[in-house]
Amino acid sequence: MADSYSRDSEPTTRTLLRRVLDTADPRTPRRPRSARTDVQRALLQTPSSRRLRSQTKTTARRCSNRARSVDRLAHVQASGHLEEQTPRTLLKNILLTAPESSILMPESVVKPVLAPQVVQASRRESGRGSLELQLPELEPPTTLAPGLLALGRRKQRLRLSVFQQGVDLGLPPSQEPHGNADASSLTSSLNLTFATPLQTQSVKRPGLARRPPTRRAVDVGTLLQDLRDTSLALAPPDTVLEDTQPFSQPLVGRSASVHHSLPCRSHSGAKDVERAASRRTWSSGLGLQNNGAGKAAQLLAGKVEEVDALAMGFPNISSNISGEDGVEPLQNGVGEEAEERMEESLREVEKAAEAQGSARAEELEGHIEVTEAEGSWGAVEAKEPEGSSGDEDTSGRTASPELASSTPEFLRARRLQFLEPAPPPSTAVLPSEPPEPLLARLPPKPRIPGSRPRQDPYKTGLNHYAKLFSFYAKMPMEKKAVEMVEKCLDKYFQHLCDDLEVFAAHAGRKTVRPEDLELLMRRQGLVSDQVSLHVLVERHLPLEYRQQLIPCAFSGNTVFPAQ
Amino acid sequence: MALSTTVSQKKLIKRKAPRGFLKRVFKQRKPHLRLETNSDLLVHLNCLLFVHRLAEEARTNACENKCGVIKKEHVLAAAKVILKKSRG
Repeated sequence: MADSYSRDSEPTTRTLLRRVLDTADPRTPRRPRSARTDVQRALLQTPSSRRLRSQTKTTARRCSNRARSVDRLAHVQASGHLEEQTPRTLLKNILLTAPESSILMPESVVKPVLAPQVVQASRRESGRGSLELQLPELEPPTTLAPGLLALGRRKQRLRLSVFQQGVDLGLPPSQEPHGNADASSLTSSLNLTFATPLQTQSVKRPGLARRPPTRRAVDVGTLLQDLRDTSLALAPPDTVLEDTQPFSQPLVGRSASVHHSLPCRSHSGAKDVERAASRRTWSSGLGLQNNGAGKAAQLLAGKVEEVDALAMGFPNISSNISGEDGVEPLQNGVGEEAEERMEESLREVEKAAEAQGSARAEELEGHIEVTEAEGSWGAVEAKEPEGSSGDEDTSGRTASPELASSTPEFLRARRLQFLEPAPPPSTAVLPSEPPEPLLARLPPKPRIPGSRPRQDPYKTGLNHYAKLFSFYAKMPMEKKAVEMVEKCLDKYFQHLCDDLEVFAAHAGRKTVRPEDLELLMRRQGLVSDQVSLHVLVERHLPLEYRQQLIPCAFSGNTVFPAQ
Repeated sequence: MALSTTVSQKKLIKRKAPRGFLKRVFKQRKPHLRLETNSDLLVHLNCLLFVHRLAEEARTNACENKCGVIKKEHVLAAAKVILKKSRG
């Protein structure tokens, strides 16, 4: 039935039904069986009134048949008893009842019929495919419109394998047989990891626009990794990471871990022993140190972006943070606090590196390499401080004699490591570092010229009163209005000074006394017989000014201010 | 009005008087005179009252024009009245 539907190209239901009727057998052999099932269904479904009648099986059959016929008759008249259960009768009834000239309606009816079946067919074909094919299929429907489901399925298949093959061949994407896609599903799912960025770039569909940002973020990491890999010529572990990369959530952390693992991986044996020895001594203090590192990280959280990423993605956070902490204060170049933090973080770096080395030595070797490399990275970072500021490090050593015994060996070993693979890491470390100094050093730079060009003090004073204006107005005001207020204040001060000069001159003084001001305010109508100057002072000025203006008796028979 | 051109009402203001500013202004205008002790505070008080009156007047002007924002014209109209009132 479904195949006949799908084969038909003409849209109307009538033609479809007629073809079905023509092709189908006049008498279906399973009719009686279907009748039996109908009876059972009727037994289950019929309301209680019917159930009362259907006590025995035979009666049940008849009764249910009758009931069915009644139902049918209600819908479609003139249908034989024998023909009731067959789909043929249903179709015939539909043909009878359906309007003869169906121009618009049937098309709208047919389309949804066709689409699901295509979907089903495609599902059937995709069902043959392996799991790898189906997993990516689950994601896109969110982007696709529900009406385009059938088309979307095919396009997804395109995206997975066929399109990539077409790209490889330099051909435009074309619909290839599905069997081919299914056959290549395994390989395509593997290739997906590498090729997805390409696809997203080439397939410019607005629905798929959500994806690109994350993948581009991955691209940067992979690019850097590839660069370093080529520089270091260490293929195997990185390829393993790359395979899993696009699917793993904490991409930044991964990439960061890899980019920490730059300088030296081959050196593990001897240092592991050293650390295992040193870890026993340091294991007691480690917890506290890690906590301190966490606090320091909280302090520096604003500056450090990468720390957050690492904290998100990485299980061993504290060590990384401590490593970062060792770097950040230096780059900032802040004064004493930075030095203190430096010392602490240096110790922490060393300890953490030692602890990591010893702890991971017991685990798998692959993990060892990564963590090892991190430790070594921290050490490499810690060396730069030494080069730049040796005294701090020496102070740190003298402060903790225990460290003094252990660190020199450790650092010497690091130096040896650093010297041996010197050319490649120098090239590899450099690209990794610029982002950090840029991030760390850029913010302070605006701060240094951040001291605004000193405004005219007269302007600032006027602005103070303009702010008072906006407070008293209890309304929002335009900026132009503020400028206007300042202009008014300028004029007001001019008037005020002139008036005070006149009053003082009239009294034969060269000093402006409070009486002059009181007179002025009296003339302005602010001070009247009812409202004295002291009342105004009490109302409008804070207490400390009131104490200076209004005479008040104090202990010791004194009055301040003296009158 | 766009928000960028408007200044919202100040919720917090400094109660402190800019005494240095006031003294400087007076000295700048009248270099041959001197202000007695704490006279600058009274100048500040006078200025405060002036600003208060100006603000009230501008506010009433804005309200009369059914404007939610104090505009330049409102301040100008208020200043004409208040500056005349506050003549010595």
